[in-house]
Amino acid sequence: MRLSITARLALLAIGLALVSSLALAGFVWQATHDDAIGALRRDTTEQSDALVAVWQSGGAPALERAIAAAQEGDDTLVAEIVDGAGVRIAGVGPDRLSVKPTPGNMPFRIETLGDQGDWAKREAGFVVRQIGTRWLVSGRMLDDWERAQRTIESALVVAVLLSVLLGIIGGLVLTRYVSRRLDHIAGAVDAVAAGDLGRRVPASGGDAFDRLGGRINQMLNRIDGLMGELRVVTDSIAHDLRSPIARLRARAETAVTATEPAQRDAALAGLIAETDLVTRMLGVLLEISRTEAVTRDALSPVDPATLIEEIADLYAPVAEDAGLEFQVVTGPGLAAMPLHRELLSQAIANLIDNAMRHAGTGGAITLSLTAEEGALCIAVADRGPGIAEADRAEALRRFGRLDSARSQPGAGLGLALADAVARLHGGHLQLGDNAPGLIATLVLPR
Amino acid sequence: MTRKILIVEDDAAAAAYLAKGLVEAGFAVETARDGRDGLFLASEGIFDAMVVDRMLPGLDGLAMIAATRAAGIRAPALVLSALGTVDDRVEGLHAGADDYLVKPFSFAELLARIEALLRREERAAAAEPVARLTVGDLEIDLLGRTVTRQGRTIPLGTREFNLLEYLARNAGQVVTRTMMIEKIWNYHFDPGSNVVDVHMSRLRRKIEEGFATPILHTVRGAGYKLSPEA
Repeated sequence: MRLSITARLALLAIGLALVSSLALAGFVWQATHDDAIGALRRDTTEQSDALVAVWQSGGAPALERAIAAAQEGDDTLVAEIVDGAGVRIAGVGPDRLSVKPTPGNMPFRIETLGDQGDWAKREAGFVVRQIGTRWLVSGRMLDDWERAQRTIESALVVAVLLSVLLGIIGGLVLTRYVSRRLDHIAGAVDAVAAGDLGRRVPASGGDAFDRLGGRINQMLNRIDGLMGELRVVTDSIAHDLRSPIARLRARAETAVTATEPAQRDAALAGLIAETDLVTRMLGVLLEISRTEAVTRDALSPVDPATLIEEIADLYAPVAEDAGLEFQVVTGPGLAAMPLHRELLSQAIANLIDNAMRHAGTGGAITLSLTAEEGALCIAVADRGPGIAEADRAEALRRFGRLDSARSQPGAGLGLALADAVARLHGGHLQLGDNAPGLIATLVLPR
Repeated sequence: MTRKILIVEDDAAAAAYLAKGLVEAGFAVETARDGRDGLFLASEGIFDAMVVDRMLPGLDGLAMIAATRAAGIRAPALVLSALGTVDDRVEGLHAGADDYLVKPFSFAELLARIEALLRREERAAAAEPVARLTVGDLEIDLLGRTVTRQGRTIPLGTREFNLLEYLARNAGQVVTRTMMIEKIWNYHFDPGSNVVDVHMSRLRRKIEEGFATPILHTVRGAGYKLSPEA
């Protein structure tokens, strides 16, 4: 496959060189040819005019002398005086012209002058003019001109051959270069396919190959990132599920070995609670994965203010019971827009839940709905310790819990779900500083 | 008259567990192992309710319910499923299921939901609009939306009134937390364990404070029950 690409490129280069050199040679040949004929015509006409002028002033004897003088030392010059049948009377030329003179002048033409001997073999450029009852034939044999033409032609052939040769060399160099550059890219891709995920296309400059390499590198980075995330999630699931399952097992063992009914009941109740925790974690995890695959068709027009009111109605008493002030701020004039009521409510619930967990005692939580430029912003703000800027990306990850020991029983999935839901709506979850505290904003484009 | 429940579940262990629990709760139970058998049994029209697993060999659970509906069987159907995302539940409910329960679930939850489905059917059969609900000394006027206990008016918010009405319609029976979240707030996600408890304790304070007897009871491991007796 690669060979045929190479061959095709070489052929293309050769073809282009050939066509361009042929076009150039053709043009040069045509131009010189036309030039030579033009010069011959001019010469011939001028000479003929001069001879006719001699005849007009001196008559036939003067013309014959002028012809003889002109032919001195110029063996390609043809000049003769013929009668009405084309038979030579004086001067140098064929004894009988191949064309019969007609009354008046004949324009410049190129053909054989006579039909016998040397005259029939070679062409001449000549004019025929009537002088009295006779005709003056003057012109030039084409030997020189032909020789010059032939030199030009052979030079052109050499030029064409040279350009084809250069085309072949150029084609080979070009294909070498292209395939070498492609080999670099293909090598990196092959290495990644074979498992070396760290390999990247080497970048040297800013040409098209480097841009292609850059794109491929971006893609590989993304794949690498996703793989890494997948690995973290898998590890986290294994780790996070291991602890509750271990506790589950411990409680089951306690129940089995318990001698008192009350002790056994307590162990069994604990077992059920642990099972519920695992089920919940799995449920949320599944919800996140599914949210990332949900299409926007699942959205239907919902009044955002009503949605906020309803979720606030559910959580306000909970926050107040936990000793927190719960405020709802709704901006005016928000029209219904396509939203996923359930998932968006769950996302807000997670943010409120998160805020309550970190608000500390006596704090305040504010749930606000505002319309920004082109976006709907649903924000949950608390007055807790907040999240340092460097840790915010980690907080959005699945199981990304900021205590690395993963000891607290928070599912570590709340913010990740909120982020997934925001992305379902084409937006994102933004974590900001509430100075002090965290302000988590679902930014949903309208 | 003993009420009859049809269980359609391909997992033998789960089916046996359900059947045992429902028999202990006083129902007559029949079990089918796949959708085709389930449809065949359901077509007899002798069941008061159906518990159908969503993923069944042969005929999918939702398809089976659709087929029984087409055959004119109106028995309420509760779908059990391992597909637990919000959209799965909504899809199941749209497809003709009367209720949807995600595996794993507690038996108390299943029982409470079956009871609620059956009572809903009974109410629908009675076909007379109820204007007033009475539970012991508690009276709920559904038209005037007022609540009185021992003749004393108790002021309630809209949501509290809806909660109390729902509990009163299921008086004497357990109502689980998730049933309340689904029916009163219309959410199909789990908002966390104590959210409903907070609302219930507020409601309880209003209808019990200043009265001698408790009327809103917490049922451990299951939910709540509105009843004059404990």
